[in-house]
Amino acid sequence: MKEKFNSIKEQVLNAVEQCEPLKIVGGNSKAFLGRTTTGALVDVSTYSGVISYEPTELFITARAGTLLSDINTTLSENGQMLAFDPPNVTDKTTIGGVVATGLSGSRRPYSGSVRDYILGIRCINGLGKDLSFGGQVMKNVAGYDLSRLMTGAFGTLGIILEVSLKVVPTPETEITCCDSMTKEKALATMRGLSAQAIPISASCYDGEVLYVRLSGNENSVKATSKKIDLDKEEQSQNYWDELRDYKAPIFNTDINTWRISIPTTINLGIGDDPYLVDWGGGLYWLNSERPAKEIFDLARDAGGSAMLFRGTVQDQEIFQPLSKGLLSLHKGLKKAFDPHGILNPGKMYASL
Amino acid sequence: MNFKYFTEILPPEAVLLSEESKRVYECDALSAHRVMPACVVLPDSVEQVQAILSYCHSNDIPVVARGAGTGLSGGAMPHSEGVLLSLAKFNKIVEIDPIQRSARVQPGVRNLAISEAVKSFGLYYAPDPSSQIACTIGGNVAENSGGVHCLKYGLTVHNILQLKIVTIEGELITIGSHALDSAGYDLLALLTGSEGMLGVVVEVTVKLIPKAPFSRVLLAAFDDIEKAGSAVAGVIANGIIPAGFEMMDKAGVRAVEDFVHAGYPIDAEAILLCEIDGTEEEVQAGLKEVERLLNQYGAIDVRVAQDEAESELFWAGRKAAFPAAGRIAPDYYCMDGTIPRKHLAEVLAGINALSEKYKLDVINVFHAGDGNLHPLILYDVAVPGELKRTEAFGSEILQLCIAMGGTITGEHGVGIEKINEMCIQFSDDELEQFHAVKEAFDRKGLLNPGKAVPTLNRCAEFGAMHVHGGKDKFPELERY
Repeated sequence: MKEKFNSIKEQVLNAVEQCEPLKIVGGNSKAFLGRTTTGALVDVSTYSGVISYEPTELFITARAGTLLSDINTTLSENGQMLAFDPPNVTDKTTIGGVVATGLSGSRRPYSGSVRDYILGIRCINGLGKDLSFGGQVMKNVAGYDLSRLMTGAFGTLGIILEVSLKVVPTPETEITCCDSMTKEKALATMRGLSAQAIPISASCYDGEVLYVRLSGNENSVKATSKKIDLDKEEQSQNYWDELRDYKAPIFNTDINTWRISIPTTINLGIGDDPYLVDWGGGLYWLNSERPAKEIFDLARDAGGSAMLFRGTVQDQEIFQPLSKGLLSLHKGLKKAFDPHGILNPGKMYASL
Repeated sequence: MNFKYFTEILPPEAVLLSEESKRVYECDALSAHRVMPACVVLPDSVEQVQAILSYCHSNDIPVVARGAGTGLSGGAMPHSEGVLLSLAKFNKIVEIDPIQRSARVQPGVRNLAISEAVKSFGLYYAPDPSSQIACTIGGNVAENSGGVHCLKYGLTVHNILQLKIVTIEGELITIGSHALDSAGYDLLALLTGSEGMLGVVVEVTVKLIPKAPFSRVLLAAFDDIEKAGSAVAGVIANGIIPAGFEMMDKAGVRAVEDFVHAGYPIDAEAILLCEIDGTEEEVQAGLKEVERLLNQYGAIDVRVAQDEAESELFWAGRKAAFPAAGRIAPDYYCMDGTIPRKHLAEVLAGINALSEKYKLDVINVFHAGDGNLHPLILYDVAVPGELKRTEAFGSEILQLCIAMGGTITGEHGVGIEKINEMCIQFSDDELEQFHAVKEAFDRKGLLNPGKAVPTLNRCAEFGAMHVHGGKDKFPELERY
């Protein structure tokens, strides 16, 4: 593995010398995400394997190319899991890709996002330097939090090569309750449930039916499921897996799919476009051919942000445009990590 | 230096220039390090903060922002030629949104005041640093403060949604949003814990959490500290994440028991406090399981609080650890390393050996669940040389934490206190990356100069005495 590490480093140093952009790829299972870029391929998928896993210390350290499915298996053998429901898009999905894209699943509003569980990162920056930030302990405030900064940066700040993540115990029991209702009622129900100290782990509405998942101690889950006034459905694991892995009907379309994150108190007006609301009302998946600007304005006016998840728009940013001040800080940071602009240039925003 | 401009934009009482009026700002809670600032300003509007920073930027004047000054690492220690920017007047809760479960507050609002203000909605703000009565949310953001409940509920970085910051150029920028995810890089995480080096926080939106309907504390005594450490690992390995999980060594137990009479067993080598919260069903099941596990791991006594009052009594002892230390010694110095828990016994043995070497007593309290150690070194500042010895002792504890795969600071920040140890934990390349990030926000290096990240020159000087051992074998281990 040392050789593989060095060869990636070598590749960066060569790219610096030749001022040639690099395209960083893990399992390439989310190739549809982000803007289209070109560059010499840096294949991280073969830099793989769990480096250290200690169930009692609640962390796992793995090389970026380690398959997410392998990590899930290793953890579940010890009654643990990743808390943020990372999408296992295909059987090629790697943990490095999970961290670089920063996408979390349905548990996110209740247990946190990818970045919330990042403890440390080892990466190579745009100068070919081998850097480690954070570590394997839960509490660590030495130095700026650059491992969280790199989470969701789409490889534009560094090539993530090793990650340490906090893990959590797998819940003893899970029950999903569901019921047909209007959008207004579904949003109100999700808000009401999310405001209580109950073992809720997901809530979403697909335009017709509200689904609420409860996870935790068996007695507590049972008692809660009786209290909340929804029908019960037992065989539900498949439903949440499909939603998490982008295989639900909302993703099975040829029209543009948008991912819009907004405050849970807003009822986003989306017209007749097909949609699904996850995250207790905080995340909309939307199938729409409306112009990008219209979607960005809609998200911005709601106090949130949108990204084109799958599809195409002409000559446009596909992530929510940043304010002038923010964009200037982003450019400064890009320069701080990658002064020659060789790491996934343009993957997120044209100017980064 | 001319601070006349400040008297033009601020009322006279908001610009302090006399030595007498500035004295209170000389230091934060790391009182061994004092510097008289050139000028203290107390703005009360964002526009004033913008004007002050913009002026300092144009005139190359260093700026140190300050909340309540309860920080333990000297992060708010003033600059002798700079402006001390107090955010004490930013003390309003701007908006509480019980439906979204968030509160928009000014940076000078006290941590505990947030939870008090939202209590009637059944909500609270989770991070609870021990100074929560006094410390402010702006300071919490700057230090990424934790507390006794972070194993389950996270640090400040996990509990905020949005920041408004003013850059050194005086520009107001909103970072994050009231949505769960925001566009672009995670600047919210970058700013949190950045120790006032990147910008000045002028507003914070915090997440609020529904208060668990039920909680109980359990107290366990052990005749061996290693057994206590294994018991903590055992509980966690069995799928239980307590809301709080604390450990105290014998010296700590005795100091506390003499002081507050919490009913701690004074003959125990170590005690554990374990708080379980959630629905009543969850808590009852959890307590039963924890009790079983602690007995299995060799506890000599396990007591479950019978009611809320007893839970509070059990906590009272832990919360009194610092004042109890203050009662048995003229001064104490609180350390803040984090280690992987499995090395606990080894690290405590190392600390005890150092205690003998430096001839200074130490009390160990410990956020056992997340591996965050708080050794309290007892000393007397009036004894010549004792403070120096104490600091050298502290530095060796931090180096031991690094050698064990941990970190020099879990929640107190680097500030000025641990700046040398940063040279051990990070390589030159890593420190250069930190400096490059700083430059992206503050090219002239005017915000809180000299804190948090050491210059490579400083490390070279420090390195003449200490070998860079962060990732290699620890050269000093054989000393004890």
